[in-house]
Amino acid sequence: MPSMRGGTIYVEGRSGLHKLHPLTKLALSGLCFACAAALPGLPWLLGMFVLVLMPLAIWGRITRAFLKACLLVVGPFLLSLAIIQGFFHGGDTVLFQLGRFTYTLEGLMAGLLFAARLLVALGGTLLLMQSTDQAQLMQALTERGFPARIAYVVLTAIQIFPSFQDRAQVIMDAQQARGLELQTGALNRARLLLPMVGPLILGSVMDVSERAMALEARGFSSPAQKTSLHSLADSASQRTLRWLLVAAALGLLAWRVGSALA
Amino acid sequence: MIRLKKFSYWYPATEQHALDRITLDIPEGQFLGIVGANGAGKSTLCYALSGFVPHFYNGELEGELSFDNTPMAELDLGKLAGQVGLVFQNPFNQISGARFTVREEIAFGLENLGVPRAEMRDRIEEAMELVNIQELAERSPFSVSGGQQQRIAIASILAMQPRVLVLDEPTSQLDPDGTRDVFAALSKLVSTRKITVIIAEHKLEWLATFCDRVIALANGRLRAEGSPQDVLSSEQMLRLGVGRTQYSEAAARLLRSKQLPVTLEQAKKALQ
Repeated sequence: MPSMRGGTIYVEGRSGLHKLHPLTKLALSGLCFACAAALPGLPWLLGMFVLVLMPLAIWGRITRAFLKACLLVVGPFLLSLAIIQGFFHGGDTVLFQLGRFTYTLEGLMAGLLFAARLLVALGGTLLLMQSTDQAQLMQALTERGFPARIAYVVLTAIQIFPSFQDRAQVIMDAQQARGLELQTGALNRARLLLPMVGPLILGSVMDVSERAMALEARGFSSPAQKTSLHSLADSASQRTLRWLLVAAALGLLAWRVGSALA
Repeated sequence: MIRLKKFSYWYPATEQHALDRITLDIPEGQFLGIVGANGAGKSTLCYALSGFVPHFYNGELEGELSFDNTPMAELDLGKLAGQVGLVFQNPFNQISGARFTVREEIAFGLENLGVPRAEMRDRIEEAMELVNIQELAERSPFSVSGGQQQRIAIASILAMQPRVLVLDEPTSQLDPDGTRDVFAALSKLVSTRKITVIIAEHKLEWLATFCDRVIALANGRLRAEGSPQDVLSSEQMLRLGVGRTQYSEAAARLLRSKQLPVTLEQAKKALQ
């Protein structure tokens, strides 16, 4: 049974996709963005999703989690784009009419095209995030010169969010224990937000100094060359693949810009 | 090893000194306890002994504060981290937040110091064993109890193998078993590796059992120093708000009673 870690969407596993070097998957997600921007029509984009991203998700044994995440992320966009574009894009093929507004096939197709671009762009990122331990991704980046401080901020943001939720719950419980009525209407709950958010933010700000000290005590600003507990498996074939993916992404973008200018 | 000579310190934008003309020599391999009421200056002294005063807190300094005969102000905090470890009272704030398992969390400091991978693994196992948290190795450091988090924080610093370990009320969230484990681990480090341990603590019984020397602070001033026996049995501790160990308290009550108790009921009455 796959499991998730902390506040991330990473699904633990030992599949081939999981074992790929994080930068290889990052290059793949870059190619997905390029495809989303450059591929000309709906069949191409859906083909990319069905023939490339889905097999990769199956290979990574994260199909269910991947489809669920795609639905959660792209679903709301798909719905709103289909509605907005359908009514306001314009076109000759009217599908139905709602008062003064007409819903056209051309609008629907434009909405679907936009949603498909999002699906391909974000699908690559979701694959990366669901099959890659974020600590390893940051390790791979810092080993290639990415600033360690930025990597730290990214990782703590991922990890500490659930802890803040726990802390907010503790504050809520404490406020309720002292008579604050939270189980009332939405308006009253909004009014009571301040006594809850105040302690959460103030407490967090007060913790910053001690957190910074704790980091220094752990040698965060040590001038030594940093090492890692885990080694990241890499190979000449993966390095070649990464260059090919980057070249393909750049080639696609160049072709798109060229055809737009022509 | 660490020397303070008439050392005074004021936090930024304050007129009241946090430390007032403290003179103290801490030799290598000593297990030193710091006692004092809340606000006596224990935490500030811990920050000074670990270099956070003056490197992290600016403020105003007077007198001498040196580590291995080098003024603390001339040392780099990043380099000092491998020499002097600091453990805080609040365990939550000591978890880096950048690692997903306890094992990786302990590795964080070692990675920063550039410790080679094989040595890192050995040190992590040893540190986890010292504070008895081996079974937590693959858990998230955020999914364990406060007491367990404190043990992780202590293990994280122990793994860095500092020459001096400064702990500011590290057992406040630990149960008696956890407190005993931590003190036993610290005592072992002092005896086997000659690490200098400095601990600010309210649990006087543990200081009396394990420390070589105890100092007492009040209003930022050094008021007493000596063996745990001399300092902690002194009447002055009551005046300074430090209190007494529960054993001293029991003995004092017994001494006040006219006759020694011979039954359980009499003992209960005498100790009340």
